[in-house]
Amino acid sequence: MSNHSMNCGRLKRLLPPFLDEELPGRMREVVESHLASCPVCRAELEALRADMALLEQVRTPEVSPYLVIRVMAEVRQQKRTAQRGFARLAGSLAAALVVAVSIGAGVLFGSGIAGTITPVAENSTEEAVSYVESSAADMYAMMAGGD
Amino acid sequence: MLSNPEVPVIDDADLVRKAQAGDLGAFEELVRRHQHGLFSYLYRMCRNSSDAEEMAQAAMVKAWEKLGGFRGASSFKTWLYRIGTNLCFNLRSRRKPTEELHETMAAPDSERPEAAFQQKLREEAVRKALHCLPEDQRAALVLSVYQDMSYREIAESLGKSVRAVDSLLFRARTNVRKVLAKDRARGII
Ligand SMILES: [Zn+2]
Repeated sequence: MSNHSMNCGRLKRLLPPFLDEELPGRMREVVESHLASCPVCRAELEALRADMALLEQVRTPEVSPYLVIRVMAEVRQQKRTAQRGFARLAGSLAAALVVAVSIGAGVLFGSGIAGTITPVAENSTEEAVSYVESSAADMYAMMAGGD
Repeated sequence: MLSNPEVPVIDDADLVRKAQAGDLGAFEELVRRHQHGLFSYLYRMCRNSSDAEEMAQAAMVKAWEKLGGFRGASSFKTWLYRIGTNLCFNLRSRRKPTEELHETMAAPDSERPEAAFQQKLREEAVRKALHCLPEDQRAALVLSVYQDMSYREIAESLGKSVRAVDSLLFRARTNVRKVLAKDRARGII
């Protein structure tokens, strides 16, 4: 007989988390006070502890010393692939910029010739530059959209 | 491993930040730190060291791929184990149990063959007992007993609640102990 409210059946359910030190303080005290007065539950706790110790005796084979090497080789390979992908993207962006600038320059040059026939406003150079910029922007937008 | 008290040990979270910034050396250190634990967990789940190693490698490479999205809500360790758990459960569900291999390990004590034999019998009994468990119970028990994880860490590694882990562990222990009790009655252990 003991002076606690918990019966042995309910206490048995709490023994694993008690052993794992996962019970909140209050519950832990309840279990401890039951154990102090109940030899049956104390024996049960010891049997549980012994079985867990038996499990712990099983060894694991050593991990291969090449595991790290293999993982890192794969990781480096992936990083290179990603970098090449980035380099290709950066390359095509640069190419697009060259094309855009050429188109813009063509327009600028063209408007100069046209100026001999059609009167050209004083700010034609600024207009041409802004055209170059906007066509470059269009090109980026187009590429981004098409990717 | 002993650490030099003069040199502050870089924690996993710092290594993760460096690796996220592209530092492969930092990632390699994370792999070194966790390879034994992850391999041993996966080995106890699948009982086959070549499968376990393949899964550990796949889990670590996947961790690298997904590292950019890791926000540190859990530890790197339990995040990595979660990846390993998913790979393991997927592989096992595709595979027939008969394909599992049984491996024997070199006897640790060749000068005392009798003790080595007893140890072998005990190990075999424990392995069989673990393999009677459904895989989620086994995973919880393996992480608790062999990886010394808290219920919270096990919950993170399995993608379950702490309450569910408590319940899994209770059932796992009850089932394993029934099998061990039979072996004991038959004088095997
Ligand atoms: Zn009792």
